Amino acid sequence: MPLTAYLVLAAVVFAIGLFGVLSRRNAVGILLGIELMLNAVNINLAAFARFHADVVGLVFALFTIAITVAEVGLGLAIVIVIFRVRRTVDADRLDLLRG
Amino acid sequence: MTGTALAVLALPFAAFVALALIRPLRRSGRPAGYVGILAMAAAFALALRVFAAGGRGEALWAWIPGDGGPMATVGVLVDELSAAMLVLVTLVSLLVQIYSLAYLDTEPAPGLGRYYTYHSLFAFSMLGLVLSPTFLQMFVFWELVGLCSYLLIGFWYERPSAARAALKAFWITKLGDLGFIAGIVMLWAATGTFHLGTLFEMARTGALPAAGLGIVMFLIYLGAVGKSAQFPLHVWLPDAMEGPTPVSALIHAATMVTAGVFLVTRAQPLFALTPGVLTLIGWVGAFTALLAATMACVESDIKRVLAYSTVSQLGLMMAAAGALAAGAGFFHLLTHGVFKALLFLGAGAVIHAVGTNDIFRMGGLFRAMPQTATVFIVGTLALAGIWPLAGFFSKEAVLAGVWEGGMVGPFVLLAITAFLTAFYMFRLVFIAFFGRAHTDEHLHDAPPLMAGPLWALALLTVGLGLLLAFRGGGEHHGPGWLPALSLGLAAGGIVLAWATYRRGLISADRLAAMFWPIDFMARRRYGLDALYVSLYRGFVLALSRLVGWTDRYIVDGLLNLLSALTGWAGDVLRRIQSGHAQDYVYGVAFGVLLLFVWVQWWSR
Amino acid sequence: MRAEIVGFWAVAVVLLASSLAVVLTPNLFHAVLFLAAALVATGGVFLLLDAPFLFGVQLLLYAGGVVTILVFAIMLTERLVGQRIVQSSRFVLNAAVVSAAVLVGILGFLVRRSGEAARPPAIPDVTGAIGRALVGPFAATFELLGVLLVAALLGALYLARTDD
Repeated sequence: MPLTAYLVLAAVVFAIGLFGVLSRRNAVGILLGIELMLNAVNINLAAFARFHADVVGLVFALFTIAITVAEVGLGLAIVIVIFRVRRTVDADRLDLLRG
Repeated sequence: MTGTALAVLALPFAAFVALALIRPLRRSGRPAGYVGILAMAAAFALALRVFAAGGRGEALWAWIPGDGGPMATVGVLVDELSAAMLVLVTLVSLLVQIYSLAYLDTEPAPGLGRYYTYHSLFAFSMLGLVLSPTFLQMFVFWELVGLCSYLLIGFWYERPSAARAALKAFWITKLGDLGFIAGIVMLWAATGTFHLGTLFEMARTGALPAAGLGIVMFLIYLGAVGKSAQFPLHVWLPDAMEGPTPVSALIHAATMVTAGVFLVTRAQPLFALTPGVLTLIGWVGAFTALLAATMACVESDIKRVLAYSTVSQLGLMMAAAGALAAGAGFFHLLTHGVFKALLFLGAGAVIHAVGTNDIFRMGGLFRAMPQTATVFIVGTLALAGIWPLAGFFSKEAVLAGVWEGGMVGPFVLLAITAFLTAFYMFRLVFIAFFGRAHTDEHLHDAPPLMAGPLWALALLTVGLGLLLAFRGGGEHHGPGWLPALSLGLAAGGIVLAWATYRRGLISADRLAAMFWPIDFMARRRYGLDALYVSLYRGFVLALSRLVGWTDRYIVDGLLNLLSALTGWAGDVLRRIQSGHAQDYVYGVAFGVLLLFVWVQWWSR
Repeated sequence: MRAEIVGFWAVAVVLLASSLAVVLTPNLFHAVLFLAAALVATGGVFLLLDAPFLFGVQLLLYAGGVVTILVFAIMLTERLVGQRIVQSSRFVLNAAVVSAAVLVGILGFLVRRSGEAARPPAIPDVTGAIGRALVGPFAATFELLGVLLVAALLGALYLARTDD
């Protein structure tokens, strides 16, 4: 398959992830959408790495995965703390940053 | 010679600086007076030396640098004109300062010190003015003199009338000064110099550009109009009488107001090139003289009478200058300075004793104050132009000059003025010094410190007159019938005043009724004051109201609008901060979309 | 070649279907499971792109670790509430429009470029190359990554502690 196919695939997954981030109400659901978006990025990186015969893309993808893991861990810890304090994880009700 | 002149200039300046900076000295009152008087006496002695030696000289120093030589210089110019003024100014200043020690004896010490500080500054300014070798320096001192006039007229600044009078004097003379500075700058633009000597040389050799010279000289003349109280800028001088009487004697009789005449006399070579302006000067001078004389006839305030008289005499001097007889005008300036100062100081003695300026509340003062009355009558005779007093010779010289200059109209006006001058002066004398006394309390004659200067001036008036009688008058000798005419006019005025106010043969009211239009207008000062006030109210205040409105509503309004806008925008934009994280993601997505659009379409 | 094409389409279908399921199912638990499927499908894509190491890492960390954490989080936050929160926001249409727009934007870029149809020769020993890169040019980044993970660990520990 040509490179463009992989890139299109990644783009579609990214868009789906974005949709998930914007439409989900549960905070954990939003995090799921973010996961999808990051995955799409990784597909992109891997595709370029293959088609340009450069291993840097894969290294970046590796880093991305590692950082994602850290982010998910912390993000969920925050969600749990908020749940303990506010008794809800409904994103529509969490507006503590309101200006 | 220039060194001595500089010393004359420096002495009052040193007194001023000492009094201005050393607060305890100034606040001590009489010692401050002594400082001023001492400086003035020394200056007078040196001035006499300059005059007697008959020296001439000029010293210049560069002041404002410019390409190809300094743009403006300062220095001193000594010649007969400035030497004579030097003596007049220092002499009258000295006598007035001595006199003030007694006149202002009830003034608290700090005020007295302030008074002498201003006096010293004024002396310095006036001397600087007469010694100026350039128009620019003259203008600087011109303004300084105006400032001193303001300070001294408004000396008793707690009085609203005094403060108003000071401001009025400043405003009106400023109008003239506008013309002055415009004129000299235009002259500089055309010739590249302010220096009088250079300009006179150019005038002599015909190197002055003739085009527009008339306007330039007219503008310069405007400065003289303001300072020397010519019509229509004469309205400030009567109100300037709010200042202490010695101040009136010095500034508004002998020195400051003569600066305008001095200017016209000094710049004679330039004015000679513009006959049109000269004619104007002559006519305005004569008209002013007559106008002021009519107003003096109906005044009841002794100082106001003398003020109008000064305006009238200044008109006389200007008329002479306009007839290219500036020498005669200057001669009259000198003699008038002496006897007008005498008259003012005498009036001051009267006011000091009686406590009022109103002549109808005086009466029979001759018996109570014989010394004062005597010197006053001497001054009056001189002013009326009676032989052999100095006033006769100078007035005759003026009339001769005007006649010889071919200005018949002004001559007639001046002749009538001479008649009226004698009339109103003796009206004043008869009402105030003769007749029945209005008060029974014992009035004191002038104290020694006041009497001294009075006698000095009186003796000078008589002495000068006798000197002139035996040496033979001034330079101008008119037609043979002129002395007879001037004496006749004076005598006629005296007789009419005697008949009306002493003997009551003619009723004063009938006399006024005969000339009722003039009487009516004169009593209302010909509506000029009212005109100025309405112009000021109408124009200046309206302008300031407009400016104020613009400042408040447009300038401030703009700023208020901006701040209101900021507040409103803040309120609106605050809603972006909803607190919901998803909304922020929407924002990011929009930004990314915008970036896409930009990259696709603009960075082609 | 044909195998690669077939494989691609298969993996693509699975990936897209499970992604859609992740964002559309109301039940959050099901969504996590579908995410796991999507992650595995992504791993499949990596395999197709001759990156076996990445496939392994993806399965281990993503499909294994991240999904586990997500499951725990859901259990901790949903169980105690006791009732199902409506999973979708009211503004589904807005979300759909914006995501579609972003997709169109990206596709717009992709349409322009001429895709390389042919693959260049594969790098021999990709894993080794990655390893050499990690300890070679990217050594510093690698170390920093370790620091980052420790920081995340500590942060998560601190945040989620119980106040005794």
